[in-house]
Amino acid sequence: MAKIIGCIGTSHVPTIGVAYDKGKQQDPAWKPLFDGYLPVAKWLEEQKADVLVMFYNDHCTSLFFDLYPTFAIGVGKEFQVADEGAGLRDLPTIKGNVDLQAHIAESLVNDEFDMTIFQDKPIDHGCASPLPLLWPHKPDWPGTVVPIAINVLQFPLPTPRRCWRLGQALRRAIESYPQDLRVVVVGTGGLSHQVHGERTGFNNEEWDMKFLDLLEHDPEQLTRMKHADFVRLGGAESVEQIMWLAMRGAMGPTVRKLHQNYYLATTTAMTVVLFEDGAATETVGAAKDEVAA
Amino acid sequence: MNPQLAGVEDIPGTYIFDIRTSNRTLKLNRFFWQMIGKPWRDRFESDPEQLMTEAGLNEREKELVRKRDWLGLIQYGANFFVLEKFARVSKTTNLEVYAIFRGESFEEFMKTRRVPDAR
Repeated sequence: MAKIIGCIGTSHVPTIGVAYDKGKQQDPAWKPLFDGYLPVAKWLEEQKADVLVMFYNDHCTSLFFDLYPTFAIGVGKEFQVADEGAGLRDLPTIKGNVDLQAHIAESLVNDEFDMTIFQDKPIDHGCASPLPLLWPHKPDWPGTVVPIAINVLQFPLPTPRRCWRLGQALRRAIESYPQDLRVVVVGTGGLSHQVHGERTGFNNEEWDMKFLDLLEHDPEQLTRMKHADFVRLGGAESVEQIMWLAMRGAMGPTVRKLHQNYYLATTTAMTVVLFEDGAATETVGAAKDEVAA
Repeated sequence: MNPQLAGVEDIPGTYIFDIRTSNRTLKLNRFFWQMIGKPWRDRFESDPEQLMTEAGLNEREKELVRKRDWLGLIQYGANFFVLEKFARVSKTTNLEVYAIFRGESFEEFMKTRRVPDAR
């Protein structure tokens, strides 16, 4: 049986991909970002993860507003990394496991998540920007990817709670897959940033820290927020953090944080966090139980 | 009104991209979206007026494009994530576009950032 061994939240800023491709890993302005991913990459290697399920959004690369799906899952043996106007990146094609992708699609639809299926479409930076920081890619990627695209661009977006429940349904899908596979769920985007209008450049580190704390200890509180709350607290484009709720929804009630890195250089609070299932060291939930008892 | 967006109109300098806006600006946004294809970029460089007409842009939209009025385009209803594809064609970086959104020079804007050298 397949099982989820952990989850990762990561920013997907396109500049990460650009800096990576330019070899800026040791550049003083970028080193704190790249170094922050090393423990996560090491963990993935040690844990022998076979599959990354990536919750990401397509930034109008392969999908456009004339037919823009709320939830879409990619099915294919391989996916090109998209040319978004600046040329092709020196990365191998992303690999897929069609049988697993099809099983997840079937399970989600039968679980009342009516997914759009996309095939033979390039994958944009929402997924491809953090991927090489997580997994080595020479000569090739060490495993397969299940891309799941969520509409975070054109309102109405799926609600935070709906994303959370999608994550729960994903867990049921994975745990009903007969083959032994070690799966890691990745939520991409965020944290605080706004990149349009006069409010561009807005950040809120205090809120980012609170979000990370709630994500770990009391994620259901985040599912009760409205999109407008995310826009106000973290900047307009930070509403994409609902994709982290899909990721967290796929985990058990308690998680243990193994690593976190937060680097706010210019406009986006670039963050990576790694959780595995298990009791947290200081759970809010446990404290509440004590009060109730 | 989408209840998920209640109160969002009180947030300054923020332009929510919803279906109504998207429907009104679909041709403009498609025009920008197509910039990810080299043939489209080449045609834009050789005859921008012809391409804008072919894409169905109205006169106001054409003028915003001609002037590279980045903030005006956002206020009109362009989506940032297709607009940035046009910024690449216009040899303007996102950080430069951000400065323009804020009404600042590039150097002024970078001084407001924690790591001004991260480019």
